[in-house]
Amino acid sequence: MGWLAPGFLLGTLAIALPVWLHLLKRSASQPRKFSSLMLFEPQRRSTTRRRRIDHWLLLLLRVAVLLLLAAVFAEPYVRGHLPGAAPAKLLVLAVDTSASMRAGTRMADARRDALAVVAAKPRDTQGQVVSLGSRADSLTEQVQDADVLAAAIRGINATDARGSFALLASLARTLAAGTHMPIEMHLFSDMQATGLPPDFNELRLPPAVTLVLHPVGEAHLPNWTVESVAAPSQVWDPTKTRIVATVAGFATPAATRTVSLLINDRLASQQSIKVPASGRASVVFAAPDIPYGLVRASVQIDAADALAADDRYDFVIQRSERVHGLFVHQSSDAATGLYFRSALQSAADAAVVLDEVTVDQLHNRDLSGYAFIILSDIAALSPAVETRLTNWVRAGGRALLSAGTAAAQQRRVPVFDAPILGAHDYTRDDIRFASIATVDEAYAPAGALAGWQGIKVFYVTRVDAPQAEVGLRLADQTPLLLEKTLGTGRVVLLSTGFDRLTTDLPLQPQFVAFVDRLASYLSGRGTRVSALSVGDSVDLRPDPRLRGSADVLAPDGTHPLDLRQAAQVRTWPLPAAGFYALTLADSRHDLVAANLSRLESDLTAASPDTLKLWQASSDRSAPAGSTAAVTGAPMVRDESIHNLWWYAMWLLLVAVVTESLVASRYLNTQRESS
Amino acid sequence: MQNLLDPAVLNAISGLDLVAATVVDGFVAGLHRSADFGFSQEFAEYRAYAPGDDLRHVDWNVYARSDRAYIKRFHGETNSQLMLLVDASSSMGFASHAVSKLAYVRFIAAALAYLATRRQRDATGLVVFGDTVRDFVPPSSRQGHLQRLLASLMRAEPQAKTSYAAPLTHLQSFLRRRGMVVVMSDFYAPPPDIVRSVTPLRIHGNEVVLFQVLDPEELRPNVAGSSMLIDLETGAQLEVSEDYVQGRYRERIEAHVADLSREARRAGIGYHLLQTDQPLDQALMQYLRLRTGRD
Repeated sequence: MGWLAPGFLLGTLAIALPVWLHLLKRSASQPRKFSSLMLFEPQRRSTTRRRRIDHWLLLLLRVAVLLLLAAVFAEPYVRGHLPGAAPAKLLVLAVDTSASMRAGTRMADARRDALAVVAAKPRDTQGQVVSLGSRADSLTEQVQDADVLAAAIRGINATDARGSFALLASLARTLAAGTHMPIEMHLFSDMQATGLPPDFNELRLPPAVTLVLHPVGEAHLPNWTVESVAAPSQVWDPTKTRIVATVAGFATPAATRTVSLLINDRLASQQSIKVPASGRASVVFAAPDIPYGLVRASVQIDAADALAADDRYDFVIQRSERVHGLFVHQSSDAATGLYFRSALQSAADAAVVLDEVTVDQLHNRDLSGYAFIILSDIAALSPAVETRLTNWVRAGGRALLSAGTAAAQQRRVPVFDAPILGAHDYTRDDIRFASIATVDEAYAPAGALAGWQGIKVFYVTRVDAPQAEVGLRLADQTPLLLEKTLGTGRVVLLSTGFDRLTTDLPLQPQFVAFVDRLASYLSGRGTRVSALSVGDSVDLRPDPRLRGSADVLAPDGTHPLDLRQAAQVRTWPLPAAGFYALTLADSRHDLVAANLSRLESDLTAASPDTLKLWQASSDRSAPAGSTAAVTGAPMVRDESIHNLWWYAMWLLLVAVVTESLVASRYLNTQRESS
Repeated sequence: MQNLLDPAVLNAISGLDLVAATVVDGFVAGLHRSADFGFSQEFAEYRAYAPGDDLRHVDWNVYARSDRAYIKRFHGETNSQLMLLVDASSSMGFASHAVSKLAYVRFIAAALAYLATRRQRDATGLVVFGDTVRDFVPPSSRQGHLQRLLASLMRAEPQAKTSYAAPLTHLQSFLRRRGMVVVMSDFYAPPPDIVRSVTPLRIHGNEVVLFQVLDPEELRPNVAGSSMLIDLETGAQLEVSEDYVQGRYRERIEAHVADLSREARRAGIGYHLLQTDQPLDQALMQYLRLRTGRD
């Protein structure tokens, strides 16, 4: 006999309550005055013993009520068949649909074994079919109809998802909490070792669950895969582009594999590499011919192994022209432009061509060809130039203003349109400089960079811009990096300069990365990745306020979004491997590549000891030495679990009624005697 | 007549003097049918005159008719003294019905005082005591003395503990004449101690009688289940069960009464148990028995 929810047995501690109440009632009799107690013996125990005995029945009944109440919640059960009672249980058939089940005949074997279990199921036993991929999906309700279960099993196919057995344990816990029946859970899977979670506790099963494992496929199946591809997501000069592909083998002998680079499904390059036994090897494709625009690129191998789905790795490269930026500075200040330009050229992917002009040369400059404009510590702008700049930003341009010592002399920041409250020269204070204390991690130009706390700021211009988004803030809460939306464009304000007099940022290593990110952000290139994994989500609505409709064109040529999703959904998980053409809510077009997780490529099964330990985690599974459970033979148990909570409920009802009768009789006796 | 001696009936009468007159007159009316008792004014017998006899007692009517001188004799023609000792400790305030033990003792004492002063022309005194002598009325048979006795009885309220030694020792100095001493109490003390305290009162040939006044609830307590009892004198608490009270306690109270009766008789002291739900005639009868025995 055991308990399905033994925690509720703590409720038995409540029996102290009636015992205490009986003792309290015993000593709570109304005091009476008497002429003299001389003839009474002062032996309380002897004078009250009979009274306790008189109430034993009532006390025992009350204790029994509490014990039975706790038992009902704790759900007692016994093993074995109860006379006259049919064994009741829930049969859960979980079929692994992770990508590794594509290997060989694993999926077909799993379906066959599952159908065999359904065929052997007693007619009155309820069953439920569950597919176990990136999540556990119930394919049927809890039904007794074997045909419904079999039809659901026949419809199961392997997916590109990554499997995790922790999902099954979680499902078992959910089912156990929602049903009073014991659960017999059958798992049909290749028992892939990489499907086990890092923490074994995630596999722990509740006591009411009996786990029966049905391993399919070979325990060690050789498999090669394109494990990873390192390629730039954006390219403007293919001659400098290098694509590095890594080929890995799992349980494989040493072999020579042919690696092909496909650009837009056409063979661009091909190489042969020697892959050591169960090892890795890399191949480099240099200066591939990449056309302009979003390009579908793939690296694939001629593996000819059991799992073909991981022999190809898809990724996306965007080829574009370099963008042009305009750096405007005072005629007397040539150093800041030098700093900025040097930092841009030092960045790994120098995608920006920076033009430098003085503020006087800005009058006749055509701004239409620039992706962004930087105004470095401009003391003053003529109204005409400021109007031109403002209109350019409102039309979608992006500008960066730095407010150094010259700008601080003005009353307002041009274009940014914020009054200047004053300046703070920290070198005149005892502290000599200010440090950056707050970094908005979500702000793209500054958030992902480390080392901000080491930057010294000597001079800062304080502006009144309560509506602006603040990316960096000094220790005294003075905003250092602010951004405002102007029309459809954006204006970023650095409230200090780019020169060494106002900050030591140009001398620090972070400056290069900061300038690179700033230029990417201002030019609208952003940060994109070349490839995603199946299950990753893509952002279809970068700005949640956008009302436009999004669309997805899946690798199989279908549009998986329904109308509601297209109009409302913000992110969408990639369900399978391949290229997805996206139309975002802001009408931009994008292309993403999804690959199945390479954890699925290692087809090695988990060790039998591990699986036995998993089964034993519920204390209701097969004994650790049982081979039947591990080899997949349907487990025929000569004992089944019977929940006794219903009987405990009946006993509780009887005890309550009896207690009421006895208590009523006792009260009547008291009334008559008084 | 019995109705007039019922304590419950007497309790409804407000004046203690009226209670005493009601009790004694009713009691005497009943006794006139008995030949065993006589009062000091009542004729007892004739005897032949002998030289030295008081000529005031010669029945001249008989002498005129028979020419012989006879002396007329009456009951109780020798005046006696009655001392009433009333226990007014806290335990005497106990009552399971309308009449407390102290009220019952008041009735008896008032009736005895009335009987002694009005009918027997005896000098009657009163001592009200608890742990000390709280009130003392010296014996006297003068006019108006009865009202003093009754007023003193009315002032007696149950309070303090009981102590027999100090009050009775105090009383010995006032007992100059031969007479009767009636001690009325519940006597919650060891019987040998009680008798040892009372025995010195028998000096000068006094007759001593103990009236143990108990409530019927004290003799036969009615306790359902367990009860917490509080001692009226000490305030001590004790939890008792129904079985104990109906068994062991009754044995002990009966033994206590029997011991006190035995010890008193062994010391030549009269003893009588009075229950507060019984008529008062037993106490008066006991008094007259002793009074008659003295004549």
